[in-house]
Amino acid sequence: MKEATHTALLVTARTLVAAVCLALVVTARTTVGWGSLLTMLAGLAGLLALLAAYNRRFR
Amino acid sequence: MTTLSTPRQDSTNRTRKSALRDGSSRSGGTRATVRRRADGRFVLACLLPALVLFIVFMIVPTVNVFRMSLYTWSGFSPDLRFVGLDNFSRLLDDEQFVRAFQNTVALLIVVTVVTMGMALFLAAIMTRQRLRGRNLYRFVLYIPNVLSVVVIAAIFSAVYDQENGLLNGTLRLLSLDGLQQVWLGDQKIVLYSVAIAMVWQSLGYYMVLYMAGMASIPEELYEASALDGASATRQFFSLTLPLIWQSLRTTLTFFVMSAVNLSFVLVRAMTGGGPDGSSEVLLSYMYKQAYTNSSYGYGMAIGVVIFAFSFLVSLLVSRATRREPLQF
Repeated sequence: MKEATHTALLVTARTLVAAVCLALVVTARTTVGWGSLLTMLAGLAGLLALLAAYNRRFR
Repeated sequence: MTTLSTPRQDSTNRTRKSALRDGSSRSGGTRATVRRRADGRFVLACLLPALVLFIVFMIVPTVNVFRMSLYTWSGFSPDLRFVGLDNFSRLLDDEQFVRAFQNTVALLIVVTVVTMGMALFLAAIMTRQRLRGRNLYRFVLYIPNVLSVVVIAAIFSAVYDQENGLLNGTLRLLSLDGLQQVWLGDQKIVLYSVAIAMVWQSLGYYMVLYMAGMASIPEELYEASALDGASATRQFFSLTLPLIWQSLRTTLTFFVMSAVNLSFVLVRAMTGGGPDGSSEVLLSYMYKQAYTNSSYGYGMAIGVVIFAFSFLVSLLVSRATRREPLQF
Protein backbone atom coordinates (compact mmCIF):
# COMPACT_ATOMS: atom_id res chain seq x y z
CA MET A 1 0.00 0.00 0.00
CA LYS A 2 1.24 3.46 -0.87
CA GLU A 3 2.20 5.71 2.02
CA ALA A 4 -0.23 8.41 0.92
CA THR A 5 -3.11 5.90 0.83
CA HIS A 6 -2.09 4.56 4.23
CA THR A 7 -2.06 8.08 5.70
CA ALA A 8 -5.42 8.91 4.14
CA LEU A 9 -6.94 5.72 5.55
CA LEU A 10 -5.47 6.41 8.98
CA VAL A 11 -6.83 9.96 9.02
CA THR A 12 -10.27 8.77 7.90
CA ALA A 13 -10.32 6.02 10.52
CA ARG A 14 -9.31 8.43 13.26
CA THR A 15 -11.92 10.98 12.20
CA LEU A 16 -14.58 8.26 12.20
CA VAL A 17 -13.59 7.02 15.65
CA ALA A 18 -13.66 10.59 16.98
CA ALA A 19 -17.11 11.16 15.47
CA VAL A 20 -18.38 7.89 16.96
CA CYS A 21 -17.02 8.81 20.41
CA LEU A 22 -18.65 12.23 20.21
CA ALA A 23 -21.94 10.73 19.04
CA LEU A 24 -21.75 8.23 21.90
CA VAL A 25 -21.46 11.04 24.41
CA VAL A 26 -24.32 13.07 22.91
CA THR A 27 -26.74 10.14 22.51
CA ALA A 28 -26.00 8.53 25.89
CA ARG A 29 -26.84 11.79 27.64
CA THR A 30 -30.51 11.49 26.69
CA THR A 31 -30.97 8.58 29.13
CA VAL A 32 -30.28 9.10 32.82
CA GLY A 33 -28.48 6.25 34.59
CA TRP A 34 -25.15 4.78 35.56
CA GLY A 35 -25.00 2.73 32.37
CA SER A 36 -25.37 5.84 30.22
CA LEU A 37 -22.79 7.66 32.32
CA LEU A 38 -20.33 4.81 31.81
CA THR A 39 -21.02 4.92 28.08
CA MET A 40 -20.23 8.64 28.09
CA LEU A 41 -17.03 8.04 30.03
CA ALA A 42 -16.11 5.35 27.50
CA GLY A 43 -16.58 7.99 24.79
CA LEU A 44 -14.28 10.33 26.70
CA ALA A 45 -11.72 7.55 27.13
CA GLY A 46 -11.93 6.85 23.39
CA LEU A 47 -11.19 10.47 22.55
CA LEU A 48 -8.24 10.53 24.94
CA ALA A 49 -6.92 7.27 23.49
CA LEU A 50 -7.19 8.77 20.03
CA LEU A 51 -5.25 11.82 21.16
CA ALA A 52 -2.57 9.60 22.72
CA ALA A 53 -2.35 7.49 19.54
CA TYR A 54 -1.91 10.62 17.40
CA ASN A 55 0.72 11.95 19.75
CA ARG A 56 2.66 8.69 20.12
CA ARG A 57 4.79 9.11 17.00
CA PHE A 58 5.96 12.56 18.17
CA ARG A 59 7.24 11.39 21.55
CA MET B 1 73.83 16.59 53.93
CA THR B 2 72.85 19.73 52.19
CA THR B 3 71.21 17.67 49.55
CA LEU B 4 69.43 15.67 52.18
CA SER B 5 68.53 18.57 54.44
CA THR B 6 67.06 20.71 51.71
CA PRO B 7 64.26 18.31 50.92
CA ARG B 8 63.54 18.02 54.65
CA GLN B 9 63.22 21.82 54.88
CA ASP B 10 61.17 21.75 51.72
CA SER B 11 58.92 19.07 53.07
CA THR B 12 58.54 21.02 56.35
CA ASN B 13 57.65 24.13 54.38
CA ARG B 14 55.25 22.15 52.27
CA THR B 15 53.62 20.70 55.37
CA ARG B 16 53.30 24.18 56.85
CA LYS B 17 51.88 25.54 53.64
CA SER B 18 49.41 22.71 53.30
CA ALA B 19 48.42 23.14 56.96
CA LEU B 20 47.86 26.85 56.34
CA ARG B 21 45.96 26.04 53.17
CA ASP B 22 43.88 23.46 55.04
CA GLY B 23 43.18 25.96 57.77
CA SER B 24 42.14 28.67 55.35
CA SER B 25 40.03 26.23 53.30
CA ARG B 26 38.42 24.94 56.48
CA SER B 27 37.57 28.46 57.59
CA GLY B 28 36.50 29.25 54.01
CA GLY B 29 34.31 26.15 54.03
CA THR B 30 32.76 27.14 57.36
CA ARG B 31 32.14 30.64 56.00
CA ALA B 32 30.48 29.15 52.91
CA THR B 33 28.31 26.89 55.07
CA VAL B 34 27.29 29.82 57.26
CA ARG B 35 26.52 31.89 54.20
CA ARG B 36 24.54 29.04 52.64
CA ARG B 37 22.52 28.67 55.82
CA ALA B 38 21.87 32.43 55.92
CA ASP B 39 20.77 32.30 52.29
CA GLY B 40 18.50 29.39 53.07
CA ARG B 41 16.94 31.29 55.97
CA PHE B 42 16.43 34.35 53.74
CA VAL B 43 14.76 32.26 51.02
CA LEU B 44 12.57 30.60 53.63
CA ALA B 45 11.59 33.98 55.07
CA CYS B 46 10.67 35.21 51.57
CA LEU B 47 8.64 32.08 50.84
CA LEU B 48 6.92 31.92 54.21
CA PRO B 49 4.07 34.43 53.56
CA ALA B 50 3.14 32.72 50.29
CA LEU B 51 3.49 29.30 51.88
CA VAL B 52 1.23 30.27 54.80
CA LEU B 53 -1.39 31.71 52.42
CA PHE B 54 -1.20 28.59 50.26
CA ILE B 55 -1.66 26.31 53.25
CA VAL B 56 -4.47 28.38 54.78
CA PHE B 57 -6.44 28.98 51.58
CA MET B 58 -5.64 25.88 49.50
CA ILE B 59 -4.47 22.92 51.54
CA VAL B 60 -6.69 23.36 54.61
CA PRO B 61 -9.96 23.86 52.64
CA THR B 62 -9.16 20.92 50.36
CA VAL B 63 -8.45 18.65 53.32
CA ASN B 64 -11.64 19.98 54.94
CA VAL B 65 -13.69 19.02 51.88
CA PHE B 66 -12.42 15.45 52.21
CA ARG B 67 -12.99 15.45 55.97
CA MET B 68 -16.48 16.94 55.82
CA SER B 69 -17.58 14.42 53.22
CA LEU B 70 -17.47 11.84 56.03
CA TYR B 71 -19.93 13.76 58.20
CA THR B 72 -23.55 14.87 58.12
CA TRP B 73 -23.97 18.52 58.95
CA SER B 74 -26.67 21.04 58.15
CA GLY B 75 -24.14 23.83 57.74
CA PHE B 76 -25.33 25.93 60.68
CA SER B 77 -26.05 23.72 63.70
CA PRO B 78 -23.29 22.54 66.05
CA ASP B 79 -24.38 18.89 65.49
CA LEU B 80 -21.75 17.15 63.44
CA ARG B 81 -22.15 13.38 63.05
CA PHE B 82 -19.56 11.04 61.61
CA VAL B 83 -21.15 8.73 59.04
CA GLY B 84 -18.12 7.29 57.27
CA LEU B 85 -18.72 6.64 53.58
CA ASP B 86 -22.53 6.90 53.85
CA ASN B 87 -22.58 10.13 51.82
CA PHE B 88 -20.77 8.36 48.98
CA SER B 89 -23.12 5.36 49.04
CA ARG B 90 -26.05 7.79 48.91
CA LEU B 91 -24.59 9.18 45.69
CA LEU B 92 -25.04 5.80 44.01
CA ASP B 93 -28.84 5.99 44.41
CA ASP B 94 -29.17 9.68 43.58
CA GLU B 95 -30.53 10.01 40.06
CA GLN B 96 -30.11 13.79 40.05
CA PHE B 97 -26.41 13.37 40.81
CA VAL B 98 -26.03 10.96 37.89
CA ARG B 99 -27.80 13.41 35.60
CA ALA B 100 -25.57 16.27 36.78
CA PHE B 101 -22.52 14.07 36.19
CA GLN B 102 -23.71 13.21 32.68
CA ASN B 103 -24.33 16.88 31.89
CA THR B 104 -20.86 17.80 33.17
CA VAL B 105 -19.19 15.13 31.03
CA ALA B 106 -21.22 16.15 27.96
CA LEU B 107 -20.36 19.84 28.41
CA LEU B 108 -16.73 19.04 29.07
CA ILE B 109 -16.35 17.02 25.88
CA VAL B 110 -18.55 19.00 23.49
CA VAL B 111 -17.35 22.43 24.60
CA THR B 112 -13.67 21.40 24.64
CA VAL B 113 -13.79 19.82 21.19
CA VAL B 114 -15.71 22.71 19.61
CA THR B 115 -13.77 25.50 21.35
CA MET B 116 -10.32 24.06 20.71
CA GLY B 117 -11.17 23.10 17.12
CA MET B 118 -12.63 26.49 16.27
CA ALA B 119 -9.90 28.41 18.08
CA LEU B 120 -7.20 26.54 16.15
CA PHE B 121 -9.00 26.96 12.85
CA LEU B 122 -9.63 30.69 13.33
CA ALA B 123 -6.11 31.30 14.62
CA ALA B 124 -4.64 29.54 11.57
CA ILE B 125 -6.80 31.57 9.21
CA MET B 126 -6.02 34.86 10.92
CA THR B 127 -2.28 34.17 11.02
CA ARG B 128 -1.68 32.54 7.67
CA GLN B 129 -4.29 34.20 5.45
CA ARG B 130 -3.96 37.89 4.80
CA LEU B 131 -7.52 38.70 5.85
CA ARG B 132 -8.62 42.30 5.56
CA GLY B 133 -9.60 43.67 8.98
CA ARG B 134 -8.25 40.69 10.88
CA ASN B 135 -7.41 42.89 13.87
CA LEU B 136 -11.06 43.86 14.07
CA TYR B 137 -12.12 40.18 14.00
CA ARG B 138 -9.57 39.41 16.69
CA PHE B 139 -10.89 42.27 18.82
CA VAL B 140 -14.52 41.25 18.32
CA LEU B 141 -13.79 37.62 19.15
CA TYR B 142 -11.78 38.57 22.23
CA ILE B 143 -14.45 40.88 23.75
CA PRO B 144 -16.47 38.05 25.43
CA ASN B 145 -13.42 37.16 27.48
CA VAL B 146 -13.28 40.64 28.95
CA LEU B 147 -16.93 40.54 29.95
CA SER B 148 -18.07 39.04 33.21
CA VAL B 149 -19.61 35.58 32.91
CA VAL B 150 -22.82 36.89 34.51
CA VAL B 151 -23.05 39.58 31.82
CA ILE B 152 -22.60 36.87 29.18
CA ALA B 153 -25.37 34.88 30.84
CA ALA B 154 -27.63 37.95 30.71
CA ILE B 155 -26.79 38.54 27.02
CA PHE B 156 -27.57 34.93 26.10
CA SER B 157 -30.74 34.91 28.19
CA ALA B 158 -31.85 37.87 26.08
CA VAL B 159 -30.77 36.16 22.84
CA TYR B 160 -32.64 32.96 23.76
CA ASP B 161 -35.79 34.75 25.00
CA GLN B 162 -38.84 32.89 23.72
CA GLU B 163 -40.91 35.91 22.64
CA ASN B 164 -38.55 38.82 22.03
CA GLY B 165 -35.22 37.03 21.76
CA LEU B 166 -32.79 37.69 18.93
CA LEU B 167 -32.76 34.05 17.83
CA ASN B 168 -36.50 33.44 17.65
CA GLY B 169 -37.03 36.96 16.30
CA THR B 170 -34.60 36.31 13.43
CA LEU B 171 -36.23 32.96 12.67
CA ARG B 172 -39.65 34.66 12.60
CA LEU B 173 -38.27 37.34 10.30
CA LEU B 174 -36.98 34.68 7.92
CA SER B 175 -40.38 32.94 8.02
CA LEU B 176 -38.79 29.93 9.71
CA ASP B 177 -41.35 29.83 12.51
CA GLY B 178 -41.14 26.04 12.69
CA LEU B 179 -37.53 26.25 13.87
CA GLN B 180 -38.38 28.46 16.83
CA GLN B 181 -37.61 26.85 20.16
CA VAL B 182 -37.91 27.50 23.87
CA TRP B 183 -34.11 27.52 24.02
CA LEU B 184 -33.78 27.60 27.80
CA GLY B 185 -37.03 25.79 28.58
CA ASP B 186 -36.75 22.63 26.51
CA GLN B 187 -35.13 19.76 28.40
CA LYS B 188 -33.59 18.35 25.23
CA ILE B 189 -31.76 21.46 24.07
CA VAL B 190 -31.18 23.57 27.17
CA LEU B 191 -27.71 22.10 27.82
CA TYR B 192 -26.58 22.88 24.27
CA SER B 193 -27.85 26.44 24.63
CA VAL B 194 -25.54 26.77 27.65
CA ALA B 195 -22.74 25.07 25.69
CA ILE B 196 -22.99 27.71 22.93
CA ALA B 197 -22.60 30.46 25.54
CA MET B 198 -19.56 28.68 26.95
CA VAL B 199 -17.94 28.36 23.52
CA TRP B 200 -18.65 32.02 22.76
CA GLN B 201 -17.09 33.07 26.05
CA SER B 202 -13.83 31.14 25.72
CA LEU B 203 -13.21 31.03 21.96
CA GLY B 204 -11.49 34.43 21.64
CA TYR B 205 -9.07 33.84 24.49
CA TYR B 206 -7.76 30.55 23.12
CA MET B 207 -7.69 31.91 19.58
CA VAL B 208 -5.45 34.79 20.66
CA LEU B 209 -3.19 32.38 22.56
CA TYR B 210 -2.78 30.15 19.50
CA MET B 211 -2.25 33.17 17.26
CA ALA B 212 0.62 34.27 19.47
CA GLY B 213 2.15 30.80 19.20
CA MET B 214 1.70 30.69 15.43
CA ALA B 215 3.13 34.17 14.93
CA SER B 216 6.42 33.04 16.47
CA ILE B 217 6.95 30.30 13.87
CA PRO B 218 9.60 31.46 11.36
CA GLU B 219 8.20 32.31 7.92
CA GLU B 220 11.10 30.46 6.23
CA LEU B 221 9.68 27.14 7.38
CA TYR B 222 6.44 27.84 5.55
CA GLU B 223 8.32 29.06 2.49
CA ALA B 224 10.46 25.91 2.44
CA SER B 225 7.43 23.65 2.81
CA ALA B 226 5.59 25.57 0.08
CA LEU B 227 8.56 25.01 -2.23
CA ASP B 228 8.29 21.31 -1.45
CA GLY B 229 4.68 21.47 -2.59
CA ALA B 230 2.90 21.36 0.78
CA SER B 231 -0.69 22.59 0.75
CA ALA B 232 -2.11 24.89 3.45
CA THR B 233 -3.74 21.90 5.19
CA ARG B 234 -0.50 19.93 5.09
CA GLN B 235 1.39 22.92 6.47
CA PHE B 236 -1.11 23.22 9.29
CA PHE B 237 -0.89 19.58 10.37
CA SER B 238 2.83 19.03 9.75
CA LEU B 239 4.24 22.41 10.70
CA THR B 240 1.91 24.63 12.67
CA LEU B 241 0.38 22.02 14.96
CA PRO B 242 3.68 20.37 16.06
CA LEU B 243 5.30 23.76 16.64
CA ILE B 244 2.52 25.10 18.88
CA TRP B 245 1.96 21.76 20.58
CA GLN B 246 3.26 22.89 23.97
CA SER B 247 0.79 25.77 24.23
CA LEU B 248 -1.97 23.51 22.88
CA ARG B 249 -1.17 20.97 25.56
CA THR B 250 -1.17 23.52 28.37
CA THR B 251 -4.41 25.16 27.25
CA LEU B 252 -6.14 21.81 26.85
CA THR B 253 -5.22 20.78 30.39
CA PHE B 254 -6.36 24.10 31.83
CA PHE B 255 -9.52 24.16 29.78
CA VAL B 256 -10.70 20.86 31.24
CA MET B 257 -10.63 22.41 34.70
CA SER B 258 -11.99 25.80 33.69
CA ALA B 259 -14.88 24.23 31.72
CA VAL B 260 -16.13 22.58 34.91
CA ASN B 261 -16.02 25.92 36.75
CA LEU B 262 -17.44 27.98 33.90
CA SER B 263 -20.36 25.62 33.42
CA PHE B 264 -21.38 26.21 37.04
CA VAL B 265 -21.50 30.00 36.73
CA LEU B 266 -23.37 29.96 33.42
CA VAL B 267 -25.87 27.32 34.52
CA ARG B 268 -26.47 29.15 37.78
CA ALA B 269 -27.04 32.49 36.02
CA MET B 270 -28.93 31.24 32.94
CA THR B 271 -31.11 28.32 34.01
CA GLY B 272 -30.55 27.64 37.72
CA GLY B 273 -30.18 23.98 36.74
CA GLY B 274 -33.67 23.78 35.19
CA PRO B 275 -36.01 22.91 33.68
CA ASP B 276 -36.49 20.04 36.11
CA GLY B 277 -32.74 19.62 36.67
CA SER B 278 -32.02 18.93 33.00
CA SER B 279 -29.15 21.47 32.85
CA GLU B 280 -27.80 20.72 36.30
CA VAL B 281 -24.02 20.25 36.43
CA LEU B 282 -21.97 18.73 39.25
CA LEU B 283 -20.84 22.03 40.78
CA SER B 284 -24.33 23.56 40.75
CA TYR B 285 -25.73 20.38 42.29
CA MET B 286 -23.03 20.45 44.95
CA TYR B 287 -23.82 24.09 45.69
CA LYS B 288 -27.53 23.30 45.99
CA GLN B 289 -26.95 20.39 48.35
CA ALA B 290 -24.43 22.20 50.53
CA TYR B 291 -25.99 25.66 50.79
CA THR B 292 -29.68 25.36 49.84
CA ASN B 293 -30.57 21.85 50.96
CA SER B 294 -28.50 22.13 54.16
CA SER B 295 -26.72 18.82 53.41
CA TYR B 296 -23.20 20.11 53.73
CA GLY B 297 -21.56 16.70 54.15
CA TYR B 298 -23.37 15.31 51.12
CA GLY B 299 -22.36 18.38 49.12
CA MET B 300 -18.75 17.83 50.11
CA ALA B 301 -18.98 14.20 48.96
CA ILE B 302 -20.03 15.54 45.55
CA GLY B 303 -17.07 17.95 45.82
CA VAL B 304 -14.71 15.02 46.31
CA VAL B 305 -16.12 13.35 43.19
CA ILE B 306 -15.64 16.59 41.20
CA PHE B 307 -12.07 16.92 42.49
CA ALA B 308 -11.21 13.33 41.62
CA PHE B 309 -12.83 13.55 38.19
CA SER B 310 -11.19 16.87 37.20
CA PHE B 311 -7.84 15.72 38.50
CA LEU B 312 -8.03 12.42 36.65
CA VAL B 313 -9.12 13.95 33.34
CA SER B 314 -6.44 16.66 33.54
CA LEU B 315 -3.81 14.05 34.34
CA LEU B 316 -4.89 11.85 31.43
CA VAL B 317 -4.94 14.80 29.02
CA SER B 318 -1.50 15.84 30.20
CA ARG B 319 -0.14 12.29 29.77
CA ALA B 320 -1.80 11.77 26.38
CA THR B 321 -0.36 14.99 24.96
CA ARG B 322 3.17 14.76 26.40
CA ARG B 323 6.00 15.03 23.86
CA GLU B 324 9.50 16.45 23.45
CA PRO B 325 9.35 20.20 22.74
CA LEU B 326 10.53 21.10 19.25
CA GLN B 327 13.24 23.72 18.86
CA PHE B 328 13.11 26.17 15.97
